[in-house]
Amino acid sequence: MFYLSYLRSELLRRKGRTILTLLGLALGVALVIVISALSRGLNQAQKTALNPLSSIGTDLTVTAEGGIGGGAFANRIIETDLSKLGKPGQHFVHDTFSAGTQPAFAQSQAKTVAKLPGVAKISTGLTLTVQHQEGKVPKITATFKTAAKKYQIQGQTQPSAADFAKMAACIQKLQAKSGQSGTGGTPSQGSGGLTGGGGSNGGAFRSCMPASMRRFRQTFTAPGQIHTQQVNTPQTDIKTSTFTIGGVDTSQSGMGLITPSQVTKGAFLSTKGGLEALVADSYASSHKLKVGSALNLNSTKFKVVGIVKAPLGGQSADVYIPLAQLQKLAGQKNQINVVLVRASKSSAVSQLQKEIEKALPRAQVASSQDVAKEISGSLKDASNLSKSLGLALSIIAIATAFLLAALLTLSSITKRVREIGTLRAIGWTRRLVIRQIAGESFAQGIAGGVLGVALGAAAAACIDAFGPTLSASSPVGDSVRGPQGTAFGLGQTLTHTATSQVSLKAPLAFSLILIGFALALAGGLLAGAIGSLRAARLRPADALRQVE
Amino acid sequence: MPAPLYELRGAAKFFQLGGATIRAVDGVDLTLDAEEFVAIEGPSGSGKTTLLQLLGALDKPSSGEVHFEGRDLVTLSDGELAELRLRSFGFIFQQFNLLSTLTALQNVEAGLAPLGIAAGELRERSLAMLAEVGLRDRSSHLPSQLSGGEQQRVAIARALSASPRVVLADEPTGNLDSRSGADIITLLTGLASKHGTTIIVATHDSELAAKAPRRLNMHDGLLVGDDNVKDARPNVKRKR
Repeated sequence: MFYLSYLRSELLRRKGRTILTLLGLALGVALVIVISALSRGLNQAQKTALNPLSSIGTDLTVTAEGGIGGGAFANRIIETDLSKLGKPGQHFVHDTFSAGTQPAFAQSQAKTVAKLPGVAKISTGLTLTVQHQEGKVPKITATFKTAAKKYQIQGQTQPSAADFAKMAACIQKLQAKSGQSGTGGTPSQGSGGLTGGGGSNGGAFRSCMPASMRRFRQTFTAPGQIHTQQVNTPQTDIKTSTFTIGGVDTSQSGMGLITPSQVTKGAFLSTKGGLEALVADSYASSHKLKVGSALNLNSTKFKVVGIVKAPLGGQSADVYIPLAQLQKLAGQKNQINVVLVRASKSSAVSQLQKEIEKALPRAQVASSQDVAKEISGSLKDASNLSKSLGLALSIIAIATAFLLAALLTLSSITKRVREIGTLRAIGWTRRLVIRQIAGESFAQGIAGGVLGVALGAAAAACIDAFGPTLSASSPVGDSVRGPQGTAFGLGQTLTHTATSQVSLKAPLAFSLILIGFALALAGGLLAGAIGSLRAARLRPADALRQVE
Repeated sequence: MPAPLYELRGAAKFFQLGGATIRAVDGVDLTLDAEEFVAIEGPSGSGKTTLLQLLGALDKPSSGEVHFEGRDLVTLSDGELAELRLRSFGFIFQQFNLLSTLTALQNVEAGLAPLGIAAGELRERSLAMLAEVGLRDRSSHLPSQLSGGEQQRVAIARALSASPRVVLADEPTGNLDSRSGADIITLLTGLASKHGTTIIVATHDSELAAKAPRRLNMHDGLLVGDDNVKDARPNVKRKR
């Protein structure tokens, strides 16, 4: 077909212009795709992190009013009686459970909620704060070992009369030998005479001293001693840490403090509710726990069966175990502190919220919006940004692509006016000329679309691969006062912040690719329409009159 | 007696240029019969090109009538005019006006394509036409790879490909040296007589004009001379 080969020749033999147009279109399309993919990614991240309730299949949470002072654990002082932990040197684990943000209430209360109209399903949970102590049982006594000590003493013994006589004789003998007249005289009693009396003959005098008097300096070493005494504060290697623990109602699938959809590694708790635990990924990494690790809670060994990405919000915890197990461990039989409610209709949530508040006047009912308000962090910022900027950016990208394509087409039309005049002169109808030029633009649109989709997909893949990490945080256990007067006076605060790390993804969808492609086509067609209308307006004689 | 090929009555074409009216063709009366070789002479700006465009249905007269084979071109629709240009007229330009991205063969095909004939036949007819102008072996060359004379020969092949009644040539040798210009005229007239095509050439080349049996002279938009005196009406319109 001649027209197609004409089209091909036109596009291939004006490579520079064609490539420029294609790149313009492709960049626009790629931008639209990447921006849409990013906002999709942000939305998904939001759904998991910023909308914690819906991720655990819940519309509303019901907790008891009161906070501090209302629950069974109120103002409880954590005391650890070291003497009861075992023999000194033995390894021990001691966990003290205390209420988190919400006071506990009887499990039977949940039934009141379940009976309300508009409730599809309920689940219960108990979230507590754990003061975990671990280490060796200390000895209540302490041992000191003193080092050996050296003592120096100067000792002198009183010389006897016989010693003096001996000395005098000895000195005289020595003096006679040397032929010198005695100058020292007779040694007199007293220490002064003994040392100073030698004069120039001191050497002779010293040699005549009795042996006992020569050892006048002596050193003696006292042996080391061990003292044992009672100490006031035991010195131990006990480590204390605080974490939150959630008791999960495993009877309800897809709904609870944590649900199977949050499991990132391993498996969910079995419905039997055995000695199994799930660990939040952040807690797992900081405590070097993995699937299969053992978790010792008050000497009950739980097996870590899965790692979870805990949803943010008031109900998140570091460790999850079956509800019944937690109630047993904490001595809180049939006690819960949260009822999770799923409404039968999403439109009825606010109505249901009022119903529950009416039925349980002392209850606090929170919806997902209430929870989301508590969340902060870069993810929230990014999602706010994407909400306000995403649309604007998309529009700018589309407009840029369109404008570029249209301008390039128009400039090429201007350059081709004489060609169009020639075509008209050799018998081409207006329609044929329009078709030809629109066809070129259309072909460029398709090629630009393909290129743009490829570019966009590649960029999205890059974001997936090296995507930045966004975080979202919410306060957990914020109103809990740190336990006062613990055995070690550590006064640890229980407030901490749950943070969820979300790696930013740019997921592509087929629809997204289609939209990008359609945009390129529309851009091409728009440019083609503008160009060909301009071409069609030209009268052949005028077109021919144009000088290149 | 059949209608003459062309009959012009008071045909005029005015242009507005910056507020001033340019009377490119200022009332021309003319009758042309088929199988003539007509040269329109005159200096630049005398209105030759505009008259040629009126004859080739590239432009409509501002006033007066242009009859082709008995039909008033002013009354015809855009589509009918395009049809006339396709089947009845062939154009040759001073600048050759080949489509720069198309090969010699494709350029000839472009003049036949709107006829809607099959691709194979289109190609065959175009190649035959190229052979007639002696460029069969250059059919796959782009215009930029051809000399001026060769480009004009491609243009002739394109103009004659649909076997038109009239070939309208505007300064066909204007961009060629005298030798290739002469060759082009020989080729054009030879082919025209072979195909029974009327040739109307606008030129200020008196050597070329001398070859034409009928020579018209234009000055300031008026027909001031006509060899064929018996056909010419006294053209007494005065310049304002």
